[in-house]
Amino acid sequence: MTDQLTYEELAVLMKNGAGLTVDPLAMESRPGSAFDEYGLDSLGLLGIVAVLENRFGRPLPAEADRCKTPGEFLDLVNNTLVTGA
Amino acid sequence: MSIRTHRRSVITGIGVVAPNGVGAGAFWRQTQEGVSVLDLVSREGCENLPLRVAGEVRDFDPVAFIEERYLVQTDRFTHYAMAAADLALDDARLGRADYEDTPFSVGVVTAAGSGGGEFGQRELQRLWGQGSRYVGPYQSIAWFYAASTGQISIRGGFKGPCAVVASDEAGGLDALMHAARTIRRGTDAVVVGAAEAPLAPYSVVCQLGYEDLSVCGEPTRAYRPFTSDACGFVPAEGGAMLVVEEETAALDRGVRIRAELAGHAATFTGASRWEQSREGLAHAIEGALAEAGCAPEEVDVVFADALGVPSADRAEALAIADALGAHGRRVPVTAPKTGIGRAYCGAPVLDTSAAVLAMEHGLIPPTPNVFEVCHDLDVVTGRARPAELRTALVLSRGLMGSNAALVLRHPTDSPL
Repeated sequence: MTDQLTYEELAVLMKNGAGLTVDPLAMESRPGSAFDEYGLDSLGLLGIVAVLENRFGRPLPAEADRCKTPGEFLDLVNNTLVTGA
Repeated sequence: MSIRTHRRSVITGIGVVAPNGVGAGAFWRQTQEGVSVLDLVSREGCENLPLRVAGEVRDFDPVAFIEERYLVQTDRFTHYAMAAADLALDDARLGRADYEDTPFSVGVVTAAGSGGGEFGQRELQRLWGQGSRYVGPYQSIAWFYAASTGQISIRGGFKGPCAVVASDEAGGLDALMHAARTIRRGTDAVVVGAAEAPLAPYSVVCQLGYEDLSVCGEPTRAYRPFTSDACGFVPAEGGAMLVVEEETAALDRGVRIRAELAGHAATFTGASRWEQSREGLAHAIEGALAEAGCAPEEVDVVFADALGVPSADRAEALAIADALGAHGRRVPVTAPKTGIGRAYCGAPVLDTSAAVLAMEHGLIPPTPNVFEVCHDLDVVTGRARPAELRTALVLSRGLMGSNAALVLRHPTDSPL
């Protein structure tokens, strides 16, 4: 398992956790697009945060489930993984 | 005061998800033929519980009706409700284009008895199996008995008054009158009804404490109200959603008016106090008739609660006689739910749907599995009975003591 979260992995998490079919390339090409546009609500993001915390065995910052865009979320998750490594 | 001095509420769409069929057409075909679909419980994890017979919805593919994003965050009871709402809206030809400029003109009301037991059980198993970090966030909304109202509202974009009625099985009828009150106060349309999914292991175990539950293992004998063989009721899943509209709004849209919600009343007589339910149910019938401005002799058919518990059946038969007088012994009484089971709050909405369809077809559906009636009632058994039906009375009681009655009028008989 890579220690960096990718757009592909985020798309899988959105599919499994919130039932959303999202093209990872669409998110990658527009990292500032809002989660709302993809249909991801706050509970859906909360669930993705919990899955990642269980996977990495460590908590993510409190602001993780308040991220508004895929780019913001990936930056926060990946910075946490790097600085915590 | 009569309901007629107010904005009148009419049914323009019927959506059914029932053990005997999905869609009003399939439901009615099986219902009027008196087909019983009661069968051994087959749901995973339920096979070895003391409840042997139930009415399961087996021919339903939620993916065919509902987007995945709504499926993952909702329980089976909400899947049924969302699908039934879609069917009702299609039936009423009420599409998004009709209300997207006026989203506050459409509301949603549902009744619910048990909420999302299957979803809740799965998440609770994760809680004790893996820990709190493995409980999904949608547990916070999926189990809740208000979930169906919320999800139908969100998914359809209905921003008018929304509500959930939690008043026992009779809440299915109370929800309809709540919709009528909402319309009286200015809303044009309400998507209203109830659907339940009480056949998950956790939910079944909760019901095992009901002394009125039938644990008979023979599908044709497990639910025989009004007979000397009565041994309790058989639970079911599913339900129905209706589109109820203000009459002139419906006429302006040019859609067919199926029936008028003419009168309703509800009473409470306490949990499992069936003898006392006689007085409560009679009072509810009298109240509903008074609101409808309907004489007892005008009632052409009664859709009975038909619990299948001897003392409750006796109380219902006496309540009908108390409220309708001599007409109570002559009026045809039916309980098509003996062929599908009791879907808790969904049951009286299914009965209401059957009553509307019966009035349209001039045909009283029979009471499956019931043959020798031991009460002074004219119960329609065996096969459907042709009759001119202008007024139907639907009765419902809950295990916790709620009683309700609803009077429906055929539109040709509703003075403008």
